[in-house]
This record gives sequence, C-alpha cells and structure tokens, in this order.
Amino acid sequence: MEKNNTSEDSIKILNRRSFIILILGSIMSFIISLRLFSLQVINFSFYKKKSVENKVAIKLTPPIRGDIYDSNKKLIAGSSSLYEFIVYKNLSKDYMKEIKKLNTLIKLRLNLDKISKRIKNFNEYSGFILSRASWKQIVEFEKNKFLFNSIKIVESKKRFYPYKNFSQIIGYMGEPSNPNEFYPKGVFHLEKSYEKYLKGTPGKIFNEVNSRGKIIREISIEKSIKGNDLDLTLDFELQNYAQSILPPDKKGSIVVLSVIDGSILSMNSNPTFNAQIFEDRENSKINNLLNDNSKPLFNRAFSGFYPPGSVFKPISALVGLQRNLIDPQTEVICKGHSSLGDRNYYCWKKKGHGKVNLKKAIKESCDVYFYELAKKINIDDISNLSTNLGLNQGYDIGLSNLGKGLVPSKKWKKAFLEQSWYQGETLIACIGQGYNQTSPLQLATLYSALLNRGKYPIPRLDKKSSIKITGKLLNSEHQKILINALNAVVQEPNGTAYKLTISNPEFVKIGGKTGTSQVIRIKESEREDDQYKLKEIEEKFKDHSVFVGYAPYDKPKYIAAVIIENGGSGSAVAAPIAHKILDFAYKNNV
Amino acid sequence: MFKDLKSIYDLNWIYFFIILIIFWIGEINLYSAAGGSFDPWASNQLIRFLIFLPLFFLILMLEPKFIFNFVEIFLILIFIGLIITLIFGYTGMGATRWIRIAGFNLQVSEFTKIAIVLFMAKYFHKLNAEKTIGLLKSVLPLFVSLIFFILVAIQPDLGTAVIILALGLVVIFYAGIKIIYPFLAILAILIISPLLWTFLKPYQQNRIQIFLNPDLDPLGKGYHIIQSKIAIGSGGLKGNGFLEGSQSSLNFLPEKQTDFVFAIFSEQFGFTGSILLILLFFIMFLIPVLKTFKLTQVFNKIILFVLSFKIFFEFLINISMTIGILPVVGVALPFMSYGGSSLLSNLIICALLLNFMSINERKRMFS
Repeated sequence: MEKNNTSEDSIKILNRRSFIILILGSIMSFIISLRLFSLQVINFSFYKKKSVENKVAIKLTPPIRGDIYDSNKKLIAGSSSLYEFIVYKNLSKDYMKEIKKLNTLIKLRLNLDKISKRIKNFNEYSGFILSRASWKQIVEFEKNKFLFNSIKIVESKKRFYPYKNFSQIIGYMGEPSNPNEFYPKGVFHLEKSYEKYLKGTPGKIFNEVNSRGKIIREISIEKSIKGNDLDLTLDFELQNYAQSILPPDKKGSIVVLSVIDGSILSMNSNPTFNAQIFEDRENSKINNLLNDNSKPLFNRAFSGFYPPGSVFKPISALVGLQRNLIDPQTEVICKGHSSLGDRNYYCWKKKGHGKVNLKKAIKESCDVYFYELAKKINIDDISNLSTNLGLNQGYDIGLSNLGKGLVPSKKWKKAFLEQSWYQGETLIACIGQGYNQTSPLQLATLYSALLNRGKYPIPRLDKKSSIKITGKLLNSEHQKILINALNAVVQEPNGTAYKLTISNPEFVKIGGKTGTSQVIRIKESEREDDQYKLKEIEEKFKDHSVFVGYAPYDKPKYIAAVIIENGGSGSAVAAPIAHKILDFAYKNNV
Repeated sequence: MFKDLKSIYDLNWIYFFIILIIFWIGEINLYSAAGGSFDPWASNQLIRFLIFLPLFFLILMLEPKFIFNFVEIFLILIFIGLIITLIFGYTGMGATRWIRIAGFNLQVSEFTKIAIVLFMAKYFHKLNAEKTIGLLKSVLPLFVSLIFFILVAIQPDLGTAVIILALGLVVIFYAGIKIIYPFLAILAILIISPLLWTFLKPYQQNRIQIFLNPDLDPLGKGYHIIQSKIAIGSGGLKGNGFLEGSQSSLNFLPEKQTDFVFAIFSEQFGFTGSILLILLFFIMFLIPVLKTFKLTQVFNKIILFVLSFKIFFEFLINISMTIGILPVVGVALPFMSYGGSSLLSNLIICALLLNFMSINERKRMFS
C-alpha cells in the first residue's frame, strides 16, 4: 500500500514534467512559426528578389558608340575592332591567380593592385576588360589557353579618330569611374558632354545559372542599341585648311562662324594633339602630351582669353552713339596722345592722326579718338552692351573648359579687386586693353552680333540643335555707320588692313578690324607702329596679333576670328590668315 | 516473444496514417528536390521504406516484456557498433560515421538514441519505488549518456551526439529529478562551454561562428544558411507551388535532399504549408503523449513520451537550423530527409510507440 502511494506520487511528477516539456515544445514551435512568418511574409519581397538574382545571371554586352560626323557626313570619330583580354569571374574562383599568371606570361604590365580592387565589386557575369591584346599576345595566349579558365579573348570596339585636327573639339575617351561600367566613357570635350547621347544602351543576355555560376541555358537576349550619331556644324575641309595656315611655330587659333545661323564651321588651335593616342594607349606619347609646356590639350579658340585690343573699339563707338556722346561728324584732333589728370595716354601712331571722325578712328584705329570718347563714358554701359553682344559669357556647346571671359564693370572691380573704378581705366578698356578678356570664339560671336544688328544666333556645334537667337536689336543707323567703317579698314587706303586688298586682289572682299593684344603695358605708345616689328623684343613679351573679319563685305556670310600669340601687330600676321580662311570658306561655299 | 495477432486491432491507426502521410510528403519533396524525378532520392527512399516495413511490423508485434528484457543487450550491441564504427568505419565527408552491413551503410549513432532512451526508461522504472530521485541516483544514467555522447562526438558527429545527450537529460528531467538539477546542469554547461570549444574540430567551431554571422563566409560555410533562407523566404505565404522552387531545382542549395530538405518544402508550399507541417508533427508528438497520462508504468511512460519527443525534437532542431536560428549541426528531418539510417531508426521508434500505445496496463507486466 505504502509502496503504491509513493509510486502514484512519482507518476504525478512524471505527468507534471511532461506538461513542462510540452509547453517548452510549444514555445519552440511558436518561435519557429514567428521566424517563418518573418522570412516568408514580412521579408518576402527581399528574399524573392534574392532568389531571382540567384537564378538569373545578367551578362552585359557593350553597345557601339555613336559616330561623329562633320556637316557633310564625313566620319570624324567612329569605332573600330580590336581584341581584348576579358576576365569572367564566374568561370573560375582563381581568376585573380590567373590574371597574375597571364601578366607574367605575356608581360601585360598590369597594375595588379588597382585591378584586384576594381574587379572585386565587378558584376560576376559581365566581362572585366583586362587589357588590349595584340596579335603577338593572342598567339602566345592561344598556346597556353588551357592555363586560363576565367580569361578569354573577345572582340571589342575602340574609338577611332581618323583626323587629328578635330581632337581639340571631339576630345577623347577614358576609363569609367564607376566600377560597374565596363566600357570606356568620354572624358573630354564633346565625347564627355555628349556621353549620354553617344554611348548607347548595353545589351543584356539573361542566363539561367546553377549554384556554381555555370550557365545552364540562355533565357533571352536584349540586343545592345548603338548610340546616337552626332552631326557637327564643322566643315571637314575648312577645319583642315585652317590648321594648315596657322603658323606651326606659333601658338594661335582660328574660329570661323556662320553669320546666318551661328554654326561653328571650323575651330582650330595650335599646337594640337592626336586623340587616337589615348585609344591606342600609347603611354609615352600621352605622358609627353600631358607634360608639354605649350599645352596642346588647351583649345585656345574657346579656352584662351586675351585682351581683344582694337577689335573691341566698335563697342565703345556704339555706346558713344547710343548715349549721344558722339555722332558720325564729331571730330577729335589726334596729336599722338591724350591726357587725363597728370597722365598721358598714347596713340599707337606717335605722330598722331590729325583730324579724326568716327569712321577714320575705326579705319585707322586711332586710340586718341576713343580716349576722348572714353572720358565721357560710363564703364558699366560698355560692360552691359558687351554682354548683350555675346561677350562676358560662355556658350553651351558641349566643350570642356569653356570660359566666360571678362568685360569689366564697377561692380566687378569692387567685388573682385575691392577697389573703386578709375576713369583712366575706362580709357584703357575702351581700346580693348586692361582687364578685358575675350576668346577668339567670343570675338567671332561679337562680330556676328554686330552684323546681325544685335539679334544674333548663339554659336552651335551640334548640327541638329535648334538655332537660338538672342540679344537686343540695335539702331540700324548706328549699325550702318559701324559696318561702313569696318569695311573701310580693309577696302579703303589708309585702312589698317588695306594691305590685304592690295596683296590679294583675287580674294573675296572682306571687312574687319585689326587688333593688338598687349602682353605688357609698357609698349602702349608703340602698338601697331611699323618700327615695332623690327625691334628685338623677347618672343614671349611680344603682343598677340588679332584680327576679326567677315566675308563678303557687302553681304556677310562668314566671320573669322584669328589670334596669333606673340605674333606682333594684327595687320601684319592675323589679318592675312583671316583673309585666306574667309576666301577658302567663300570659294568652297562652306 | 510476440503479441497475439489480434492485438493488431488495438493499433492506433490514426498515428499509423500520420506516419504514412508524413513519409508521403517526404517522398513528394524528394521528387521535387530532384527536379521532378523519382530518381535518385525518392525511389531509393521508397525502396528502403518497403524493405524496412517487415522489421517495423515485427517490432510492432513484440511483447513489451521482451523489449524490457532486451534493453541491456541492445545497449551493449550499440556500444560495440560504435566502437566498430570508430575502428573500421567508412569515412565520408571528414567523419567516420558509417559501417557497412549487408550492403547498407549503417549509422550506428542513429540507433544509439533509441538504446539510450530504452536503457534509461528501464533504469528509472526500477528506481520508481523511491520517493524522489536524488542527484546520486541520476549520476549513473548521466554517466552512461555522456559515454555515448563522447563516442559519437569523436566520430565526429556533433549533431547526433548533442541529441543523444539531450534525450538523456530529457529522460532524467521527465523521470522526476528535482527541478533544481536541470538548472545546475545548464549552469555547468555554461561554465564548461569555453572548455568544450577547444575540443571542437575547427570545422565545428567554424559552423558555430558562421551561424552567429553567416555573412562571414557567404560563398563558403555560411552559404548553406544564406541559400536556405533565400529559398524559404522566397516561398512567401502560399509558396511557389509544387515543382516550382527555383532555388532547389537550380542546385543553389547544397545537401538539399538531406539536412536542408525543409527549405525545398517551404519554398514550394510557403508559410501555409510550413505551419501545417509543424501542426502535423505536433499532433504526431501529442498522440503518444496523451496516452502516457493513462499509463502508470514508468517504463511505458518514458518510452512513449521521450521517443515521441525525440521525433518532434529533431523536427524542431532541423527547421531551426534551416531558418538560421540554430547552428547547422547535421540533424535529419524525420521521415523527410534522404537517408536510410535515420528512416530506419524513426520507423523503429514509431513501431515501438504504436506497440506501447496499445498496452493494456491492467496486468502488471514488469517485475
């Protein structure tokens, strides 16, 4: 009996304990259910996405980049075939070892540290471009092919620039900055600014893969789409001709602009470079180029800023006319200098021009006339009108390092130099020296604005872009007076560029304005003096030679702005070049 | 030795059918794991099942008295089997877990679980006269389970070893040890666990570290857990549907037919299917447990409760492992994982459970 009691007690303990275990089991089941709920219901989309990624491997195929043409559909940047060593990470875990092996076997001179960093984050199924493969390297590789599971030789495209005279506008390609972009991108000038337009859409090959990354079957293919072709306003022949007439030993630039629609017909800068060396990875040439003191990468047509010199004078004249400070009959006696306060301001012609009216002042480029005018001028009027006529600003034409230049104002001087404006500075500004900074492209635009009576087309390079007209209309009388004077510069005796008419009578008749851009101020009295050319002046202190002209003078179609650094006076160097290029453009009906 | 053939009428047919249902789910699952093919797993597993069925019915018809008397012999046979495994065993995947008997690769450790429960059931049955069982009295069974734990752990098969030890502790707890001892045991384990860590093989340490942070090695050891979670998670509420599991059919999941078979199931049948499966296993656990409340014999109670618990416990451990709440220790999903030893051992357990559920305790069976 007693024994039974104890036995029954212990049975009760067993039953109690089984409840505890049952409860623990239930709790455990509940926790598992919660976890399943979290995985399958709450985080379902996350895991679903992962499972799709697991299943489908997307291999990207690079698109063909759009071609670039001149205005007559002449190819100036295209694509050509080449072979590359491509690494596919999914084909072997030891891809990094194989890259090292390849590097020692074929002497590719790879930067292994950089590559290992970049390849780490790279898409597993899209090929990583290791290096170009030459024929010799391909043969060597084929012999040892069995050593490399992850590396393949694949045909690919590279950029092809057949003509080096376009490099300073088209720019060049470089390595992608984002590790997941697997093809080169434009890094300079049009290649850079038109990157999205030119690059195209990569193709996608959807593969079903197993857990080892082995492709089981191809699901579908999205073909790559070639980028858009870019048509430029440039004229192939004109561009090449312009380069050929730039003095090879001088730095300089020529811009030819259409008066009608603002098309940039040619835009050259010397020295220049060949963009193809970047595509061909000619590292020694690239290094030489980057270290060249004459800066061939620098396109002086739109990145080079110089004081415009006398080609700026029409603006001062316009302000005088607009403010009724002068009329065409107003006369000034030029004795070779003008004084303001205790300072003398010299004309380039020491003997003086004698009696000078507006037409003569422009035709013979009399400085004293403009000094006298400047004494009455508010510099802000000059600055505002300049802005209206295309200076003081950049144009959105897709070029790198396109600066704005400067035509000074009181406000500008206060803000940047923290000084107030002196009247003497207005005198210097009115003849285009001093703080004034303009590029050849801006000068061409300025003359386009004058010829178009103030409402002018903004310069453009993309032929398909619409023509945008900007600016305020000028008084037609004022414009006529100015154009008449500018024509006289070349067409009438005593004009600073009359020489052109005499030496090349068969050329198209042009109008224009000479200028001399001062490098150092000391020679203020010596500008455009014939004696000046004979003087032995150290090359780098010589003035820049400037000329802006248009042709034909009675019905202008083309504008050429020429600057030759350290070339001396505008009439001697820049003007003949401008005449040649305008004649070429006119005769070939560019 | 055998019961009267008429006792077949007393069989708990519900339980029997649940076994068949779960095995059938397992078969379907192995079929889909092979990408919609009976070959190789589903067909093999079915053949094994059919081969084992006679043994199942044989054990089902054994006299409980015979089983009671056979316990020690069984334990000694298992002990010898484990020693043979260690010396002559067949090595696979860095562990020596199998011995070849009559063309089968037998994993003795699976049967150790049954032997240890039977042995302890008998031990505590004999102690039942005592009012409460003190610490000393529980030292012997603890000692025995530790010996078997070590024999299996050095194979090395940590998963099975831990289950063996856990079952030993569950029997001791169930048999009525003072509630303080289990706490002491847990405390002791916590204290010696840093020591135990040094005894673990590097790959076992690795597994535990990776369990704590699978992203340590997403393509290596952590790969299992990550891929398994992706498969389960992508199943969603309703599942992708039968044979529609992309992760499983594309071989993203290694060992999907064995330890990670639940992921295959859950990917196809989703949260709904998973909860139903948990319920099914819970009912399967509960049926023998309900019977224990009607029984007074300690041997019967322990066998019914702990062996039924064993199946449910392994089920919970296995799932926890696949959903990343326990480290991957290599515990099979009962009746669903591909593997002969696990199937045979669970069939023997179910035969024992069915056998003991039909016991009529009115006559005193054991002395």
